Amino acid sequence: MEEEVEKAVFVYLRKKGFRLTEIALQEEQTRLSSDASSLSRSESDAAKYYDGYGKLRSWAYNSLDSYRHELLRVLYPVFIHCFMDLVAQGHMQEARTFFQTFREDHEMMHLRDLQKLEGILSPSHLEEMELARLWRQNKVKIRLCQYSYELLVQYLHKTQSLAMLGVINEHINFEVYPGQPASMSDDSEAVSLIGTSQDLAREINQKELHWGLLEDSVEERMEKTLSESDKTEVDGNKEADTEDNNKKKTDGNKHSTAVNNKKKKDKVVGATGKTIRSESSMVSVPPRVKPELTLPQFPPEVEQSILEDLRNRVQLNSLALPSVSFYTFLNTHNGLNCSTISHDGSLVAGGFSDSSVKIWDMAKIGQPGRASNPQGENGSMQGMHSLASDEAKRPYSLLQGHSGPVYSVSFSPFADFLLSSSSDNTIRLWSTRLNANLVSYKGHNFPVWDAQFSPMGHYFATASHDRTARLWSVERIQPLRVMAGHLSDVDCVQWHPNCNYIATGSSDKTVRLWDVQTGNCARLFIGHRSMVLSLAISPDGRFMASGDEDGTIMLWDLSTGRSVSPIIGHSSCVWTLAFSCEGTLLASGSADCMVKLWDITSSMKALKTDDSKSGPASRLRLLKALPTKSTPVYTLRFSRRNLLFAAGALSAGS
Amino acid sequence: MSIVPKETIEVIAQSIGIPNLSPDVALALAPDVEYRLREITQEAIKCMRHSKRTVLTADDVDSALNLRNIEPIYGFASSDPLKFKRAIGHKDLFYLDDREVDFKEVIDAPLPKAPLDTAVVTHWLAIEGVQPAIPENPPIEAIVAPPDGKKMDHGKDDSLPIDLKLPIKHVLSRELQMYFDKIGELILGRADTPLFKDALLSLAKDSGLHPLVPYFSYFIADEVSRNLNNLPILFALMRVVKSLLSNPHIHIEPYLHQMMPSIITCLVAKRVGHQISDNHWAIRDFASKIVASICRRYGHVYHNLQSRLTKTLIHAFLDPSKALTQHYGAIQGLSALGPSVVRLLILPNLETYMQLLDPEMQLDKQKNELKRKEAWRVYGSLLLAGGSCLYDRLRLFPGLLSPPDILPWKTNKKIALTNLPNNKRKASSRLTAHQPPTKKLAVDPTGTNSQFPSTDGPATSSSSGSNPNHHHSHNSSNNNSSSTGNITNANANINNVSGSGAHGQRVAVSNVLRQAWKEDLDAGHLLSSLHGLFGEGIFSFIQPAEMHCFI
Repeated sequence: MEEEVEKAVFVYLRKKGFRLTEIALQEEQTRLSSDASSLSRSESDAAKYYDGYGKLRSWAYNSLDSYRHELLRVLYPVFIHCFMDLVAQGHMQEARTFFQTFREDHEMMHLRDLQKLEGILSPSHLEEMELARLWRQNKVKIRLCQYSYELLVQYLHKTQSLAMLGVINEHINFEVYPGQPASMSDDSEAVSLIGTSQDLAREINQKELHWGLLEDSVEERMEKTLSESDKTEVDGNKEADTEDNNKKKTDGNKHSTAVNNKKKKDKVVGATGKTIRSESSMVSVPPRVKPELTLPQFPPEVEQSILEDLRNRVQLNSLALPSVSFYTFLNTHNGLNCSTISHDGSLVAGGFSDSSVKIWDMAKIGQPGRASNPQGENGSMQGMHSLASDEAKRPYSLLQGHSGPVYSVSFSPFADFLLSSSSDNTIRLWSTRLNANLVSYKGHNFPVWDAQFSPMGHYFATASHDRTARLWSVERIQPLRVMAGHLSDVDCVQWHPNCNYIATGSSDKTVRLWDVQTGNCARLFIGHRSMVLSLAISPDGRFMASGDEDGTIMLWDLSTGRSVSPIIGHSSCVWTLAFSCEGTLLASGSADCMVKLWDITSSMKALKTDDSKSGPASRLRLLKALPTKSTPVYTLRFSRRNLLFAAGALSAGS
Repeated sequence: MSIVPKETIEVIAQSIGIPNLSPDVALALAPDVEYRLREITQEAIKCMRHSKRTVLTADDVDSALNLRNIEPIYGFASSDPLKFKRAIGHKDLFYLDDREVDFKEVIDAPLPKAPLDTAVVTHWLAIEGVQPAIPENPPIEAIVAPPDGKKMDHGKDDSLPIDLKLPIKHVLSRELQMYFDKIGELILGRADTPLFKDALLSLAKDSGLHPLVPYFSYFIADEVSRNLNNLPILFALMRVVKSLLSNPHIHIEPYLHQMMPSIITCLVAKRVGHQISDNHWAIRDFASKIVASICRRYGHVYHNLQSRLTKTLIHAFLDPSKALTQHYGAIQGLSALGPSVVRLLILPNLETYMQLLDPEMQLDKQKNELKRKEAWRVYGSLLLAGGSCLYDRLRLFPGLLSPPDILPWKTNKKIALTNLPNNKRKASSRLTAHQPPTKKLAVDPTGTNSQFPSTDGPATSSSSGSNPNHHHSHNSSNNNSSSTGNITNANANINNVSGSGAHGQRVAVSNVLRQAWKEDLDAGHLLSSLHGLFGEGIFSFIQPAEMHCFI
């Protein structure tokens, strides 16, 4: 309105030829506006922030008990923005004092963020640092109950602290809900929600997710034949329903997939019939879904061996704990970066920081004479023998090809191929039979932190420092999908048993689930407080466990996207997680030299009984802690017969 | 304002050839330097995590620099974490101890051993959830309590309650350590010296030894199991036990459970010392006394102490497959626990046991002299046990206890002495050539406390007095003879009784006797049954006056 009037005045003056008046008016206007800006700047002086925040803080801490935790939640974003405002305005010294004074309050929840933000020392850093940019660009969303919100508004009006009001208005969106404040326990979910991610998470997590298992799996067929042959419902249903990990073999890669697909479709009718029947008899049979990728078929002899394994599987539960076979890497000289174990435990591979990959065939090492003193033999004779004889003496096969530290290795389901990813930005495919490199996949622009074969083989997923996860087929040197969305490095990747989804864990403290067909994010899991290092998805496809740098293990319900039970499982990084084949146990391995076994069934049961309130009421139960002899646990893997394999490098300190 | 002081920037500038950097520039650069440092550190930590390490190395920093497309800094690569040293006089200034290396030195040095190649070994970390105790697994003791924070979390997460016993640090003073070492040395090496006697006295009297008790109990248990063949050491150890038990300043109850097995071992072990040469009977007797004293003193604290003990002993006693030496120990132990134990546990089994023992004692059935002697030993101890029990019963009648008359006793002795030669032959053809210890009779009148002839050396000497050559060396035979001697004495008693005829007291006592049969039939029956089993040997436990009544 005012602008229109002004415009009209200007037009009028010009029309009348009142030149001087026009200039005078213009000058007047600019003076006024500059006045206003200088006024606001002087108001938002450093001390204002300091005092304002200090008062807000003490008010929040003195508020009513039942509303306090909600109000305290407001403090953290206010704190961060006050600090950033101070930095942006160039009050470096004040910013630092401010940060140091109030830092303690948030250390428990946000230590790692604080450590990062501490380094911001000039306005340009605000632009440069991803975290700071995120904070600046996005509004924090905070859920408050009606009364908490009123309290806050009242306080802000009463005290007239404009700086605080400004910060809160500018950077925080309140989502006010009627009724009583949420319980304290939900706090963990409200932690470290940056920008739009909570909205996004909610939106994303609304999507439909087909977490069920693949139809027409080996297990299913085995059940079918069993029930058809003797018409009795076999208890094996339970044990078998979860095991999809190792179905297919990637050899050849030249299957007529279209034909296979058709075959599968023909079987759909039978499969659904089966599902219905078994669902009526057993409660916990996961639904069946169709594969979104064209999956390879595997030869009958492989199928036979799987069936054999399934028949011989040991039932595990909280009372029957698994046997653990531990592979210790000796003399690694701090060079072992990663390891993996094939499904039958016969092959062990390690990726080293000297760019090499080594594969040990445990069956050969077990042979008499060979195992007696392999490394001593090698060490003493290295100088004397020719390279060829040395190679013959070597108890492992050495794969060289990478030009940077190898950060992950992964066997194909039948251990005939090995994937390795390295800091040289490539992923390499090796044949374990030929001991030779077959393909080098280039696509990532930065070190590839993780590569994982799909449970069926043929496809694999990678995670990289370039903040993307990619989906590949062994046949093509270009990625099939690029999953972008993480705000920081993608540190780990894991396949869903039905091959339709991959999960990624990232340094932005979130875990995402991606649909492999569309490449879209299907779920966003927020709750970790530090970088996510390990992931595992239960064999029935319903739950996911993730472990982080602090030793926390979280269990997620994939269908709802909510956390089932956060636990502080270890005192140091959780390097690896593995579900037992029935999904009853979770094993976790950590840098604190422990393998821990957790009871999953109890927490799931609790979840089932009160499905309506699937809050973090139930907790994982620790069944057993198995300490190793100063050997951090790098890899865990349950064999198809439910034997637990673990691997780690003996640390030099012992 | 930045943690990097501007002086540092100036120094760096000088080092790369910019001699006069203006202070403003340094000030402006400092924050950026700090930011870059943090950035590199953050990336380096990522690389460290992906190398599955928890210690940052120079390689990680190089990788981080690579990530940022910066030339890595050469010359610091090391597979081990760098070792920083604190600069003297500065609180938080560290430097790398980087020695200057002489080329010649390096060239002249012998080639270092080639590093061992990487290898994989496999072991069972757990079998069905249980960790086997193999060298590859950490020893159980090494599993210490997790740091506080973690424990707290366990509580918070209401996971399974974990039983963790914190290892308690126990500080032992140097003096006590020396004392302990000295005692140990004495026990093992010089138990026959007077110094050891002093040591025993010190153990029995000194206050302030309590911190050593766990060590002693462990030491004793350890040494007993190790030195079962070395009788002197066992004796020394038992003496130490006795001294410790008698020390009023020591609160020994918590350690009894550790000591008891060793003592019982000394009591009922199959072989203690060298069977032939050593007087293992003595240590059994000694151990039985210790056991009895422990039971008396601590029976009320550990209410199941005696029951457990008797169970162990009766088990040893009733098991025919056990050696006679073990039976002997068990009987000694049980009888030391008191007459009521004997009455309840030994006497009901006596008859069956005697059937077992009898053939062992016969010359024609048991050819092994050693075995036979053992059998006689057992016989003697059984007799003793039975006799003491009987005596205890009879003591219930005060009228009987006080010897009505000294005179008959005196005549008795004489007669016994005179009757000896023929009695000896009559009673037993297996009497040894030794002088029959008729002095055994002296036991009876001397009072209630030594009513049974003790079979260990000192006791024998105290009761017999005139028989010093019958100590340790001849103890086994001595004991043998003592049991037969008892029989002789009994015969003498009988002779005496029949010979001296009716004394005046007899009528008066008959009332008491009647009472005895009436009120406590047990005593009468006991006597008759014991008489049936032991023959007249049992009579030595009855005072002559009583004998009057019964016969």
